[in-house]
Amino acid sequence: MKQSSRTRLVLTHVFLIFFTILTLYPVMLVVKKSLTPGDHFERTLNPVPTKVTLDHYKAVIGSKDSAGRSLFGRQLLNSLVVALATTLVGMFLAATAAYAFSRFRFPGRAIGLSMFLVVQMFPATLIMIPLYVLLDKMGLLNSVAGLVLVYSTTAIPFCVWMLKGYFDTIPKELEEAAWIDGATRFGMFWRVVLPLSRPALAVTALFSFMTAWNEYILAETFLNEETAYTLPVMLQHYVGSHSTSWGSFAAGSVLVSIPVMALFYVLQKHLVGGLTAGGVKG
Amino acid sequence: MSLCLRSFLCSRRGALWFGAVGAAFMILLGLLVVERVQSREQKNGMERRAIESLNAFNTGTPAAQLTGVERAFVLKPANLPHNLVRFSFVSGWDRMKPDAQFAGELTDPSTRRLHDLAAAAVYRNSYEIAWDHSGPVSLVIAAWAGKDHAYVVVMPQSVPPPAFPWMPFLIAGVLALLGLLLIPASWAPLAAFTAAFVPLLVFLAGYRITPYEGTGSHLSAFGAGMGHGTFRWFFAAAALVLAAAGAAWKHGIAGRFFTGLREHRVAMTYVVPAMIGMLVLVLVPFAAGLALGFFSHCNGNFAFVGLRNFWEILSGGGAAITHPLNFWFTLGVTLMWTLFNVVLHVGIGLGLALLLKDPLLRMKGVYRVLLIIPWAMPNYITALMWKGMFQQQYGAINVLLDSLGIGSISWFSTFWPSFMANVITNTWLGFPFMMVVSLGALQSIPTSLYEAAEVDGASRWQQFRLITLPLLRPALFPAIVLGSIWTFNMFNIIYLVSAGEPGGSTDILITEAYQWAFKRGERYGLAAAYAALIFVVLLLYSKMANRLTRAGEDM
Repeated sequence: MKQSSRTRLVLTHVFLIFFTILTLYPVMLVVKKSLTPGDHFERTLNPVPTKVTLDHYKAVIGSKDSAGRSLFGRQLLNSLVVALATTLVGMFLAATAAYAFSRFRFPGRAIGLSMFLVVQMFPATLIMIPLYVLLDKMGLLNSVAGLVLVYSTTAIPFCVWMLKGYFDTIPKELEEAAWIDGATRFGMFWRVVLPLSRPALAVTALFSFMTAWNEYILAETFLNEETAYTLPVMLQHYVGSHSTSWGSFAAGSVLVSIPVMALFYVLQKHLVGGLTAGGVKG
Repeated sequence: MSLCLRSFLCSRRGALWFGAVGAAFMILLGLLVVERVQSREQKNGMERRAIESLNAFNTGTPAAQLTGVERAFVLKPANLPHNLVRFSFVSGWDRMKPDAQFAGELTDPSTRRLHDLAAAAVYRNSYEIAWDHSGPVSLVIAAWAGKDHAYVVVMPQSVPPPAFPWMPFLIAGVLALLGLLLIPASWAPLAAFTAAFVPLLVFLAGYRITPYEGTGSHLSAFGAGMGHGTFRWFFAAAALVLAAAGAAWKHGIAGRFFTGLREHRVAMTYVVPAMIGMLVLVLVPFAAGLALGFFSHCNGNFAFVGLRNFWEILSGGGAAITHPLNFWFTLGVTLMWTLFNVVLHVGIGLGLALLLKDPLLRMKGVYRVLLIIPWAMPNYITALMWKGMFQQQYGAINVLLDSLGIGSISWFSTFWPSFMANVITNTWLGFPFMMVVSLGALQSIPTSLYEAAEVDGASRWQQFRLITLPLLRPALFPAIVLGSIWTFNMFNIIYLVSAGEPGGSTDILITEAYQWAFKRGERYGLAAAYAALIFVVLLLYSKMANRLTRAGEDM
């Protein structure tokens, strides 16, 4: 019995290691590309860089606009502001709505909930043209505010469903106790429910952040000044129409991916619990 | 019998049914009548414009200055015996190919129509007009015979072929029936709400639309007082509002809504901010997008074409069912794409989760972190990265196949390899989500169940089949539904990996819609109609999935 479980463990490890390498192989190729001088490709399977240079990273970070100001810094700032603001706005709206859906019974509750689900099915290309006109009329094209508004509304439906599911698992007795102790409705929400749902909040925040940080079609459509670009749009232009600088693209990809990976790493403990208790139980 | 009918009509569902069928009938009738009139007017207007351009052209205006003209020719007739004429080019101009030279006789099949029309004009010594619906964009060809030359202008008009007598009725009827069967009575307020906003949205959509010159019947009517256009929309909107108001009144919704607002002030303060955001930035653009599906777009002009976009899509647009441009072909590819992906995502994700669940296994955290990486990568990077790996000459996959002695594959020149390249990329991207969900779901299954099963002598397979699977179902099912919706609309992968190659055959519905909007002549209306159909398919799917879950819970 003991012997058989040991061989099973070894086999599991072997399989998992193999599968992990398989999974990470494409990523390693990108990292290699970003460190290898030149833009050309080699016919090789080796994922370890043979010649190492930081030129591509320097080129990406040191990119300047025609007036000589740093473009990368500006675009990084745009991306950060957009992603963080989206997270904040989206989370605030989603958490309050989810709380109401979880704790109150009011007319329109069922419709509201199903609306948040149906919205997931809207194809983005359908919304893009009218949204462009709308943002144009509001004067929000080429602006961070416009993007934040659009991104936070696209992130809300998923967040509402996840948070609502999680709030449902928090016993009402806790709030009742707080009520007896003289807490207001908002106090119960802010001091009791929110602190208890930290895992779900973490996951939701991660999702909102990712939505905004990684999105590029809408950003590409709504932004047409280099200084207003977010990082994904900048990255897209390295493989754009004029010439393809794969080295810079790879270096940029690594730079763009690092913050999200870091967030995933920090929040991954919450990911399993937060995701299951929330969105998935509905 | 009559009692039966009466009680049915008084029930919530019966009333909805009655109201919806009535409204649908009225709208269809209105659209059809108005469309007939409209289409004749529109056609006349286009022909008048073609003749105006032709006049300008033969009085010496350079062809490049004529708005809306795509090609213009001056032809010289040579008389043959038996009243036959043969033409040769004197000069020619093409907006798409400004440098092209036109000379010689019009003998090849592509100039056949020009030739015939010019011949008719010479024969009748007057104007001749013909429509060419064979291409993706309809053409008006006008010819005029001058003293010793014939002048021909070709103007593209974004009007799909006009023939459609019965199909829209049938399709709308089937859809209405399906909708009524699937939409529960509790959705009546949503219907009422939508209906109330439709006129407003149409107004917004029409706000910027510029009319065709010389014809007063287009959406300019909205800006400039009453016209036929206003009447048409008024008719449709009024029908909807009446039906919705009827349904709302029937259920006392309006009254409940207002007392509800007062009673549930607290709840509302929590919900309303998110609702307003969704309304302005998602629902309004969505409805405006839907409204766009009833218009046709050409050079910045929009014209109302009723159901023709939908008709063109659903009838296959003249392409055979095996042709990539046919809607049903693309729908088939999309369904296959979704099925392949979801099966692979769930299979791999669940398999890994089961392996990682083993309590004796060490370094679980490390594996989990590393295996989540594909999920954390922005998906357009993933797509471009894999596109590089599938590259024929330098791509890692072909290098590997070569070194194994299999030989390299040209991944994007035939359907299956191209399709599988997309599937592989998306599988890489999507399995971590399913893995994490499965891990969470597995954690929530109490270990005491397995211990009890072990005591009872159940094998591992029996434990998996009788404990794990049934208990995973409620957690996994919504994730699968959500995952398949995401896959169905997974634009980035298809667009960036195979880009529809070969010949658009690996396009799924969402990329097809994008192609129509931005690559094939800016047919925004058609693209919007496509997107609306995508939405309908997904809505039906989620309704079905919902039923399945409920059925599962009953068991």
